[in-house]
Amino acid sequence: MIAAPDQVLDYPLVTDGEIAVINLASARQQSWSRFWQDPQRPGLAEYIVEQEQMTAQYVGDLRALDRLEMLVNQLDRVSAGAVRTALIHAQVAAMAHRFAEARDHLTQAAARGALPADVERLRLSIDQACGNRLESVLEVRQRMAAESGRLEDLVPLGSLVADLGNFDEADRIYDRALREYNDVSPFAAAWVCFQRGVLWGELVPEPESSRAAVWYRKAIEYLPCYVKARVHLSEIYLESGNVADASSLLVPVISSGDPEVSWRLADVLIAMDRFADAETRMQAARLGFEELLSKHLLAFADHGAEFYSGSGNGARRAYELAAINLANRPTLRAFEQAYEAAVGAEETKAASELLVSARSRWGGTTAFGLSSLAQISASSGKPAGATP
Amino acid sequence: MSDHVDGPRSIGDPSIDLSDLFAFTSPANAGHTVLAANVFPSAGVSAMFSNVVNHSIVVRRMTVAGIGEAAKFKPDEKEFRFNCRFTALERGSDGGSPIQRGNFTFPGGQELSCVVNDEKGASTPDGVFRVFVGLRSDPFFLAWLPAALIKVPNLLQHDNVLSIVIEFDTASVLDPAKGPLFGVIAETSPIPKPPSPIGHEPPRFDWVGRPEQTNMRLNNPAMLGTDDLRDLWNQQTPFAISEELQPVFRKRLVDSLTNWDMRDKKADWTPADLAAAANVYLDDFLLFDVSKPMSDTSFLEIEKSTLHGKAYQSGGGRTVNANVVDMMITWMVNNDREFIQGGALRATKLGVSSFPYLASPNTEIQTVADSAELAAPPEKVWALIGSFGGMWHPLIAKISVVGTGVGQLRTIETIDGKQIIERLDASDDAQKFYRYTLVSGIQAIDYIGTLSVQPKGTGSVVEWKVQFWADGQPDFVVRTIVSTLLKTGFESLKARFGAS
Repeated sequence: MIAAPDQVLDYPLVTDGEIAVINLASARQQSWSRFWQDPQRPGLAEYIVEQEQMTAQYVGDLRALDRLEMLVNQLDRVSAGAVRTALIHAQVAAMAHRFAEARDHLTQAAARGALPADVERLRLSIDQACGNRLESVLEVRQRMAAESGRLEDLVPLGSLVADLGNFDEADRIYDRALREYNDVSPFAAAWVCFQRGVLWGELVPEPESSRAAVWYRKAIEYLPCYVKARVHLSEIYLESGNVADASSLLVPVISSGDPEVSWRLADVLIAMDRFADAETRMQAARLGFEELLSKHLLAFADHGAEFYSGSGNGARRAYELAAINLANRPTLRAFEQAYEAAVGAEETKAASELLVSARSRWGGTTAFGLSSLAQISASSGKPAGATP
Repeated sequence: MSDHVDGPRSIGDPSIDLSDLFAFTSPANAGHTVLAANVFPSAGVSAMFSNVVNHSIVVRRMTVAGIGEAAKFKPDEKEFRFNCRFTALERGSDGGSPIQRGNFTFPGGQELSCVVNDEKGASTPDGVFRVFVGLRSDPFFLAWLPAALIKVPNLLQHDNVLSIVIEFDTASVLDPAKGPLFGVIAETSPIPKPPSPIGHEPPRFDWVGRPEQTNMRLNNPAMLGTDDLRDLWNQQTPFAISEELQPVFRKRLVDSLTNWDMRDKKADWTPADLAAAANVYLDDFLLFDVSKPMSDTSFLEIEKSTLHGKAYQSGGGRTVNANVVDMMITWMVNNDREFIQGGALRATKLGVSSFPYLASPNTEIQTVADSAELAAPPEKVWALIGSFGGMWHPLIAKISVVGTGVGQLRTIETIDGKQIIERLDASDDAQKFYRYTLVSGIQAIDYIGTLSVQPKGTGSVVEWKVQFWADGQPDFVVRTIVSTLLKTGFESLKARFGAS
């Protein structure tokens, strides 16, 4: 039986989130200084990739992607033919959701003699992100988690199990990751809590907002600057009419530059009847999304589609972006988003085709049975909003 | 030890990663002993300590329990534990920068609190203890690529660490009349929590005794394909390595020392001597004798003399300026036949003779970087800016070049009458990039600039980056000068080619 979150008392004791973020920023800066002095120093570029990934993931500093592009450009300049350059290229491309490019770099890395384990680890992540051969990915993830028992292996397993529709099992895996966590970095603990929030707030067919909110709050407690957790929790607060708390979650992280903060804050301001302020925020969000999309289209296509499907108010742009995301990684969630966007853009024929494609690719899975697409298929065989 | 990033675990929170441990007689007061431990290798200037970890330096009295091939140092049961826990950040009512405190508990139970980065540190009222906690220049230097034993410049040049320095009255704390030889280790360990039904806390995150036990001996970088024993070692109990695992660690040490001995293709150690040394290394604590002189060269003298079957002459220990890596490599590779010097003679900054003994932190390297996307192809842009003596920047009144190719010097006269001289260090017209260094004219050292043009869509992107350490001027003053230079240059390029 899964313990209710408020009964879980033995959370790991971790370094104060504010200290950890200061230390991450200071170590990251130090790494960059060293990198510019000696770009080929063993292990350094790889360490920077980790630090920048953490900065993007937890601090919401999306310029991390630009900095990583700079890193690979420099590596190309000084060691274009090296194994590690190809591996780092693959990592950076995968982080920016340029999965086809990432695979090409992995092939190059393998041809140059990269360790098979290094290549396979990243290939596994790419397959998982793209929804490819998930059964075999699951098998490998289970084996890796059983062997190491480490949080960094358990969380991707939990995420995959959730994608496959086994939500209770996913929660058990996350629970184990948190309980057995033996380090003091708050980033990892906050990550697990965030994943549990997403699991109960978004992935399950009938979202349990209060259960999700407990985990988002815990993630923020670990890491006050955790922008994504704040955004997700603010959505729950806003839905329940708690606009003041929603606002106080978002205002402190406007400076992160993540356009999602401006978007959600605009929604909150609308609920407060502060329409002029909301418009200013919405404009900032729109500009922010478009800037990100102009630089890293594939990385933000799904986020952009979500924005334009919602109060970003651009059904056609939403459909365009959702289609780009689906072509890049045809996961079940990408199909769901593309279908909704097609319906929103009144692309009825395209919506019908998406439904057929989704059924063809995912129809035999548990996850599809639980998805909104299956219900639509079953009820009418035609997309919602389709003209009879 | 120097244990910079000494195991997969420490990649989690770098602030709990112990790098070095020092034990020496205070240069300022011969009756005082100084113990210092460093954490957070390559810490940035704003680094702080973890607030959920016990930072401990633990001393035990030692006796020489065997000499020669049976060399052995036996620890006493009683320990002298110096413990420090740090607070979360505290904000004053004035809204200033947050502060952190280190709260110490000493062997006799006395307590003392010290603000992080307070240069003066804090003392107990009776003057027995004085402590410092905060950022210092890393006194460790490693000027080798250890796997291939290739000399390189100091790999930790300009690095900082977080230091915990404890000075105390030797007689009243350690009671050397009962025996003057001690072993010391430092450890980071979890703050105890109530037991959990699932899982358990590790007994400790990291610990150090002698330098480089993990990164050079247990995990000898030249022995490819061997299991990484560092996390397992870090979870051992100092002064009491698990009986069950001792054979594993002993074998690894013997194999590793054998490998080190043969790095110069000459066997300078007999198998029996190697086995004896491995046994001494297995008991991983830093030995020091408070009744004898400790100096920059006394490191490991206690172990070596005892292994040679004779009485040791010095106080051993490890001073801040001891060149421990070269001393250890020399001993391991040629059994002290001839001294092997790495690629650096000292750390970035030498330690000092007054409290807190570790040198002040290095300032941070300054980076000014910018880029511009232009609506012109790279060839067109490079034709303008790719010449080292090109006259395109609006702040330049005159430019002259001496020499050709790499090594040429350009003398720039700015429109406000300043003169800057720069040297071309590398250049590649095909890649459309050049790198240059400052000779004079800006108050900075190790000033390196790179300028490049890359294709981007139908246009191009120009990247310009300058790195330097400010010299004789505050960082922000030099940054402003360099930023203005870049900004004005980019504005003129955008005006000329159009921004894409």
